Amino acid sequence: MTRRHPLDGLEREIRAHIERETEENVERGMTSAEARRLALIKFGNVALTREDTRAVWASRWLDQLRQDVRFAFRSYARTPVFTSVAVLTLALGIGANTAIFSILNGLLLRPLPVREPAQLVLVTDDEAAPRARVWNFPIWDQLRQTSQHFEAVAAWSFIRFNLSSGGETQLVEGLWATGSFFETLGVPAIVGRTFSDLDDQRGGGPDGPVAVISYGYWQRQYGGAADAIGRAVQLNTVPFTIVGVTPSDFFGPEVGRTFDFIVPLATERLIRPSDSAVDSCCTNFLSVIARLTTEQSLDSAVARLRTAQPEIREVTLRPWAAEAGQAAIDRYLESPFALVPAANGFSNLRLRYERPLLIVAVVVALVLLVACVNIASLFLARAVARRHELSVRLAVGGSRWRLTRQLLTESLLLSGVGAGIGLLFAGYGSAFLTRQLSTSTSTVFLDVSIDGRVLAFTVAVTGLTALLFGTAPALRAVRAGSTDALKEHGRATTEQAHGGLTDLLVVVQVTLSVVLVVAAGLFGRSFASLKYRELGFQPDQILVVYIDAQTVMVEPSQRVPLYERALDAVLELPGVTEAAISHVTPVGGGGFTPAVEITGDQRPGREASITLPANGEVFGNLISPRWFRTFGIPLVAGRHFTDRDRRGAQRVAIVNEMFARSFLGGDNPIGRIITLYPNTPRALSPIEIVGVVADAVYTSARDPVPPTWYLPIAQFDIPGFPFSATRLSVQATAGSPVLLTDRVETAIASVNPQLALTFRALPDQLHASLTQERLMAQLAGFFGSLALLLAGLGLYGVTAYTISRRRTEIAIRMALGAAPRAVMGRALARISLLIGVAIVVGAGISLWASRFAAGLIHGLTPRDPATLVGAALVLAVVGVLAGWLPARRATRIDPVAVLREG
Amino acid sequence: MSKEPRIDLLQGTLDLLILRTLQLGAAHGHAIAKAIQRTSDDVLLVEEGSLYPALHRLIKRGWITFDEGASENNRRAKFYRLTPKGRKQLVVETTKWEKLTRAIARVLRPA
Repeated sequence: MTRRHPLDGLEREIRAHIERETEENVERGMTSAEARRLALIKFGNVALTREDTRAVWASRWLDQLRQDVRFAFRSYARTPVFTSVAVLTLALGIGANTAIFSILNGLLLRPLPVREPAQLVLVTDDEAAPRARVWNFPIWDQLRQTSQHFEAVAAWSFIRFNLSSGGETQLVEGLWATGSFFETLGVPAIVGRTFSDLDDQRGGGPDGPVAVISYGYWQRQYGGAADAIGRAVQLNTVPFTIVGVTPSDFFGPEVGRTFDFIVPLATERLIRPSDSAVDSCCTNFLSVIARLTTEQSLDSAVARLRTAQPEIREVTLRPWAAEAGQAAIDRYLESPFALVPAANGFSNLRLRYERPLLIVAVVVALVLLVACVNIASLFLARAVARRHELSVRLAVGGSRWRLTRQLLTESLLLSGVGAGIGLLFAGYGSAFLTRQLSTSTSTVFLDVSIDGRVLAFTVAVTGLTALLFGTAPALRAVRAGSTDALKEHGRATTEQAHGGLTDLLVVVQVTLSVVLVVAAGLFGRSFASLKYRELGFQPDQILVVYIDAQTVMVEPSQRVPLYERALDAVLELPGVTEAAISHVTPVGGGGFTPAVEITGDQRPGREASITLPANGEVFGNLISPRWFRTFGIPLVAGRHFTDRDRRGAQRVAIVNEMFARSFLGGDNPIGRIITLYPNTPRALSPIEIVGVVADAVYTSARDPVPPTWYLPIAQFDIPGFPFSATRLSVQATAGSPVLLTDRVETAIASVNPQLALTFRALPDQLHASLTQERLMAQLAGFFGSLALLLAGLGLYGVTAYTISRRRTEIAIRMALGAAPRAVMGRALARISLLIGVAIVVGAGISLWASRFAAGLIHGLTPRDPATLVGAALVLAVVGVLAGWLPARRATRIDPVAVLREG
Repeated sequence: MSKEPRIDLLQGTLDLLILRTLQLGAAHGHAIAKAIQRTSDDVLLVEEGSLYPALHRLIKRGWITFDEGASENNRRAKFYRLTPKGRKQLVVETTKWEKLTRAIARVLRPA
């Protein structure tokens, strides 16, 4: 029917009404003005009339919605326990999903908060593996000089600045950045100014060394005061002037990190005059970013860069390249530059956490699915209980669509309320999780605020959730609410046809729970295997002091003696059992991996020499004599280093057992000769192996113990080796090693008050080194338990409901002489069968999915059978328990009472 | 004009009056207002604007409907008329109304 809507022509109708009245008034003898005035008065408020009339129609849909919502609220209020369990479940499920998504959003999706981020590209050398490649200064210099291909290029490097002028460090996050940095990114200053090439001069620009601070630091340190501009601040004892503040949303060029200070790259020479990376030919430390012009495509930019490449490579060839051989030179010259899009910034954090986070995202999605299934079965039970109400409504002419809509409104309302609470959870949850990622050595900063994308995600998840748990029960309820339900006396004597769907829901729920419990088991066991791993050293009593001598006016060659004097001062302290200095400490970050050659096997039939390249498979350390005792690493053969192993004496080395096993076939290594940096002018030889120590973890508890050699730090006299910093490890006699901090600081200050000291307890470092595994274990454990709880509740609910529906049948059976045990057995048999099927399917899925956890699981295989069996057992126990409790109640039915009710 | 004071319409009674008026035949808005006023001897005051939301409410409930047509001086107008459902409703409403007035009368003048 194309009937016109009653509202059409309303305007004309009102006008006609007033005209008619006016005409009648004129006929009564009024003037036309008077007639019209009275007509208008009599009609009343025209605009209001129009509005009220329209409202009659506009409110129909809204009215029904309001009605539905009010009705839904009422019906939820009648079942407070069901409602709160459902809302809480949904809040947790949706909240967890939102939290993880907002982290993924911050880490992967959000564009950098800069001008036209899509034009930014990162200069790297491998398109396939876009890692955060860093370059040395000469290459950057060449890139800058050939930068006419690009609109702009910039480079930066992260650094921690020390605000204190000696003694314990007060570290802030910083960036060296080229003068083009702010212009290239298009980041303005909100107060003061940014800096430019003018400021990026050796020794500082016209205003001397300048610094730009972040909004966060401005607020924290200066309370956002405008007079922060112009203030002087000492970074590593060099005075800088603050000239500007960056916008609040600018966290820097790398996702996952943030900064307090940005200073011009050229001031690096002021801060570390004798160790400057800018002045060095070969220190790779700069990230380089370029902005393409608007008409430039990525491919054409790459092509242009490649044409400039031979020249850039030629000019930046290392001075000692000739010794490395022609092949190495050619490899260097031909190694291509590449550009990768950097709209979302680039991030080491992303590389590390992308896969774990995606796994967690899948885990929380599965938990939400379990929650949906759970609520769906509750709804199903509820819908059957409401069948009478629904059939009455259908019988008196309610439309099926209207009823379906009513039921879906109820679902949506439930998930909407859940999502609202979930958003609150998510805000806390994502902030909590990112805080967990931060350790004492690296601060993780991620913008996880809830933006449009996160909100859209949450709304979509909420809608989907409501459909998932609401549709099937709603359709079934409306279908079942047909007239025969009226005839039925509200009680069933036989199993209902809805059993199929309920069974399916039970199987799905238990299956998902199996997968989640397996994941929890794997990550938990993996973390435990790392945490309780035999490290090979005793970390508990050790305080590690990072001593930085860069700001001390001492010749680099005099630094080791300075460190030794500091060591002697600390060894005098009461409460210190042992102490030693070293170039590297276990799990302290960094590794020392020069090439090594082993010679000295004179026996016939053996290779005279083995060369081990500097590929990171063999690790070295430079230590003082009591280092092994400080760390509790036992000597297996030969002797320890002594104070006589100094410059001028025979060079000596100690290797670990793994070194002997890996390269000498288990032969006694003592007496063999090694050479460091073989075939280069700085080759260090001959070094005689004088001892063997037990294996100990080097970089990380995750990695197997590498073949390791140790040299006396006092004998390591390669020209130009900076020793700009060292690590002093102190073993406390008793109590927490942190308690030694003040005494150690005073002792070192008495040797030289300018040395910058950073204190870290080794147990804390170990703790921090396992952050990722701990977090995965906690998250998987939490969500695994949640799924288990939900599955248990769901099974309990379904069994209890089924049994309550079959009370009459059970009563009849018992009246006819069935033993309670048999009745219970029947109830349990079915649920056991379902759980059995689900466990088998779940185990299969877990086996398949385990491939995605490869590389994240340590100390066991991702298909660990014990974990699988354990998970199956846990589910079986929970399932049978959840079935047994209501089943036991069934046996207590009093047949007489039940049958009388009928 | 009447000397008696005019009475404001009770909530909902306007619907009844409209149905009653339309029982006599189709009419446009102005005519309905006039009829209500005239047949009540000008006692009942209809703020004429409020007629329109009421008419639309009745259309929505399916008690009345309308046709487009030309009025006395060839104006285009909507003529409202009762539907069969509206006719039934009028009986219901009238009965309800009579019950109500009888009850109120008994309260005011107990026998």
